[in-house]
Amino acid sequence: MTETTIPRGNTLPRIRPWLGIAAAASFVVASVMALFWAPTDTTQGDVYRIMYVHVPTAWLAYLAFVVVFLASVAWLWTKRPIFDAIAVSSAEIGVLFTGLCLIAGSIWAKPTWGVWWTWEPRLVTTAIMFVMYVGYLLLRGLSTDFSRRATRAAVFGVIAVIDVPIVHLSVLWANSLHQLPTVLRIAGAPSLDSSMLLTLMVSVGAFTLVYAYFMSARVSIELARQGRLWTT
Amino acid sequence: MIAAYRIALVARRELRAERRQPDGVVAAVTFIAVLVLLESLVVGPQVARDAGVAAALFWLALAFATILATMRSFDRELEDDALEGVVALPGGRDALFGGKVLSLTIVLVLVAVVGGALSLVLLNLSVALPLHLLLVVLLGVLALPAIVVVDVVLALRLRARAALVPILALPVLVPQLVAATRGTSAALSGDAVGALSWAGLLFAFAVVYTVIGLTIVPAAIE
Repeated sequence: MTETTIPRGNTLPRIRPWLGIAAAASFVVASVMALFWAPTDTTQGDVYRIMYVHVPTAWLAYLAFVVVFLASVAWLWTKRPIFDAIAVSSAEIGVLFTGLCLIAGSIWAKPTWGVWWTWEPRLVTTAIMFVMYVGYLLLRGLSTDFSRRATRAAVFGVIAVIDVPIVHLSVLWANSLHQLPTVLRIAGAPSLDSSMLLTLMVSVGAFTLVYAYFMSARVSIELARQGRLWTT
Repeated sequence: MIAAYRIALVARRELRAERRQPDGVVAAVTFIAVLVLLESLVVGPQVARDAGVAAALFWLALAFATILATMRSFDRELEDDALEGVVALPGGRDALFGGKVLSLTIVLVLVAVVGGALSLVLLNLSVALPLHLLLVVLLGVLALPAIVVVDVVLALRLRARAALVPILALPVLVPQLVAATRGTSAALSGDAVGALSWAGLLFAFAVVYTVIGLTIVPAAIE
């Protein structure tokens, strides 16, 4: 294969600064809304505000791993290196945000439940999802040949996505301390105060822009690395 | 029909190799026995005899035994350079996956029966619903090998493979292990409805993972 057949992702560097500005601006707006505009919860007080970090990071964990799945299927189907670059980038960012989600949840749990960690289904399945994608990255790290590494990782990326619905629905399937889904509910509309819901949606949007910014940077790095691999 | 014949051929070859050199089965059964003995020493006989604890340990041991037996099965292929020959045949990749899963299931049924009997005797457990227990164990065993074979294939010829396979396989096996543990515990304590519903879930897992394996594993075998 020659260098010209490797996608260079020329559009990514052009849109990245704009993505960065949009992410930073929306992050400031979300922070102001979460800290000053959203009302205090009658039961939990101000501790609940960590939800504006915890829920978006959980959403990004789901999103990142679904993107890994889609990119993995696309790699197995087409063998185009861009899809492998997307998969590894999304997996790394997904692991980062799953870790942040677990930490934020732990900080919230201490004053609310009285413990940093408890063995309940949502927490355990999220921790398992974290370990699963650390395993995905390990698998990639141990493979040296580009094509084999991409294929092995893609197969695991397809299997591992099964954990995403298990994490989300675990609170419904088993008796759980964790709060039931309040936004993505099977039963219907979100069960949340409108100003809290709006703040949460802005936070989710801000974090999603951060994800998009990180993705654009990481995919560019991965494409450059692939380019070096193919030309050396 | 031809695919089924090829799968049967690979499975027969695997079983013959296992009969001639049964180190995989022996290692798996010994592993379960050691864990059961360690369990009663570490947590004490009263806790070890609890239906939930005994069932959890049995299935964790069986999951590790599955990994051991699968890795041994592929090691044998690599030692004899037999893998390339099977893969090169028409439909060889599907046959390799299907044959491995089928032969490992048969081997694991044997391991589970011997290991389970050993657990019952050593822990002095009484079984309230023996037929339900047998059903849960059979379906639980059916649900394990597909994922483990996929993960062993993914880690084939990689350094640190012995550490990587459990890291990849065990998190994916969590739903099966939970269902098998709950089903076994229900059968031991006399909850027929619970045992049957967990057995149904195990059957679903077995079908789903075997289909996924047959769909994507050929892409991973190189």
